[in-house]
Amino acid sequence: MLSGFNVILSTISFSIETEEAESLKQQVSFTTTTIPTALLFSGIPFEKACQLRVKGEGGLSAATAGTMVGLSLGEKHFIRGGIAQDLRTDGRKRLTYRPISVETGVIPQANGSARVRMGTTDVIASVKAELGKPDLLQSDKGRVIINVDCSPTAAPIFEGRGGEELSTELSVALQRCLLGSKSGTGAGINRSSLMVVEGKLCWDLYIDGLVVSSDGNLLDALGAAIKAALSNTGIPKVHVATAASADEQPEVDISDEEFLQFDTSGIPVIVTLTKVGRHYIVDATSEEESQMSSAISVSVNRNGHICGLTKRGGAGLDPSVILDMISVSKHVSEQLMNKLDSEISAAEADETES
Amino acid sequence: MRELRDLQLPLNQTQKIRLRRALQQLQDLASKASSSASVTVADTIPVNHEDGVLKGHGTSELDGEVVATLCGVVERVNKLVYVRALRARYKPETGDIIVGRVTEVAQKRWRLEINFSQDAILMLSSMNLPDGIQRRRTAVDELNMRSIFEESDVICAEVRGFQHDGSLHLQARSQKYGKLERGQLLTVPPYLVKRRKQHFHHVEKFAVDLILGCNGFIWVGEHVEARDNMVEDQDNKSEQQNSKLNTRSLRLEEQESTYTPVETRQSICRIANAVRVLSSLGFSLNVEVIMGTVEQSISLNLDIHEMLGAEFCVQIAEREVERRSSLTKKRR
Repeated sequence: MLSGFNVILSTISFSIETEEAESLKQQVSFTTTTIPTALLFSGIPFEKACQLRVKGEGGLSAATAGTMVGLSLGEKHFIRGGIAQDLRTDGRKRLTYRPISVETGVIPQANGSARVRMGTTDVIASVKAELGKPDLLQSDKGRVIINVDCSPTAAPIFEGRGGEELSTELSVALQRCLLGSKSGTGAGINRSSLMVVEGKLCWDLYIDGLVVSSDGNLLDALGAAIKAALSNTGIPKVHVATAASADEQPEVDISDEEFLQFDTSGIPVIVTLTKVGRHYIVDATSEEESQMSSAISVSVNRNGHICGLTKRGGAGLDPSVILDMISVSKHVSEQLMNKLDSEISAAEADETES
Repeated sequence: MRELRDLQLPLNQTQKIRLRRALQQLQDLASKASSSASVTVADTIPVNHEDGVLKGHGTSELDGEVVATLCGVVERVNKLVYVRALRARYKPETGDIIVGRVTEVAQKRWRLEINFSQDAILMLSSMNLPDGIQRRRTAVDELNMRSIFEESDVICAEVRGFQHDGSLHLQARSQKYGKLERGQLLTVPPYLVKRRKQHFHHVEKFAVDLILGCNGFIWVGEHVEARDNMVEDQDNKSEQQNSKLNTRSLRLEEQESTYTPVETRQSICRIANAVRVLSSLGFSLNVEVIMGTVEQSISLNLDIHEMLGAEFCVQIAEREVERRSSLTKKRR
């Protein structure tokens, strides 16, 4: 529970009066809880309290919701041992994913939607297309806006505004992995296909992600959900009235029946490698994520090219380690891509049946 | 069906059909076996109005009729009629073995989270001191409480009872109770663990300890011999305490040497996965069923993580159908 951790932080500010503690007080002043009187006199050694604070910082600054309930030292030791011996707590190997299930068409009002479950992690992605004016600098490309929301029901830490930091972090990471830079180079999603009339009219895709249940590996699940939602997206056909002058907005007729399937062959999958001790694991549960030192999320497309890269976690990594992790993630991404493709086509088949 | 929705497994068509059929057969067996009336909210409870009937929990009087306010099973004890909910939170009774996690170290006591509506309390006086001597707890003992149990530690204890202020007290005076390390804790709904004579199971074949807490917390871990503190030397004790303190700041290589051996870890993971499968299917947990599931997975040569897959899940359901139908046949 976070409350136990907070109490220890407050104890530092009250029981020790040195200069160091003053600066520490500034840093920890945001965590205030009522302190049971016993703790003031329990005499925790300063080093031990500091150690706990440093450990906690590593876990919190990762901004991925770690375990809500704390783990005892014995359990943490067990998890680390499992990862070192290639046998995790649920019997998986280091590079094995949890069973992935995909459902498409879960939101009928959206142009495309999908729900992806990886073990207990549950996310929903929806795609809405609206007509809009393209950017002046990129008049031949449409716009894609990705936004993620962590539902308060996903984890106790998300209550109220607790999930906002994680939501922004996930949105930025997804944009980096799927959209590439502002100039449009290196994009995973082909934005030129969203153009209707050059310079005047384009499709704006609003991709929204919702985290329903959080048990680690949110980025991979969201990436998979967006890929599935985009393959489920139907963009209405637009008939443009001809002979429009350069200044006027052209008249458009949005058809209700005919839809164009969005081209998703170029969309990458996101693979997150979490480093615990000396080894990397794929698809970490929230318990395993609480033990991580750093994590790298790589988005790889069908050709094996890397479309985006994000590193999380406070620990520094040697460049050779990063290169090794990238090659491992490339290797894992092939299997994940195939698995996702088969799941998505199965889900679409199910949807057309029902 | 509720069960199919809860299972978040990718089942293909044949597996869905088989699972549905197995669950249907189990339901038929269950309704044949017991004659307890299950009620939902606002159902009238058939009651003999001539006897003065006492309306207990989960009932209410409406227009002269006794109606249920909960969904559950009607229980009758002499003149008392009450409705027992099926999926309630854990309800502690004196003598229950429970597994809990420490949430707070307070004055002369630890507070544990045990999946109950309030935190349970383990008094310092209900706990054996590390040196094993029976004496009055002093202020020094109180200051050293953290050396016994810290926050987030997993502890096994026994329910001592409710105090007059309504709080739940535990005791851990025997050698078999205490801190649990080197293993994993699983959470299942409490109604799956029925009260039995034995909750501590030492599976010799795998050298694994399996503790089925009545509150739904199940511990699967390496086997630890219950040490008798009073017999040990003072020297041994200080040595062990030193090694325990050093675990915090051990370097990676030293830590690696203290990891659980691979064979034991495989058994622990197998048993844990068996518990996960059984709890997702909603079957009662006891040692025989769990070990039977583990044996079946070994005989099928399944990879440990495949135990959580769809095929094994369906096979376990079918196996349970066979087991229960053979039980009912034996009874007749």
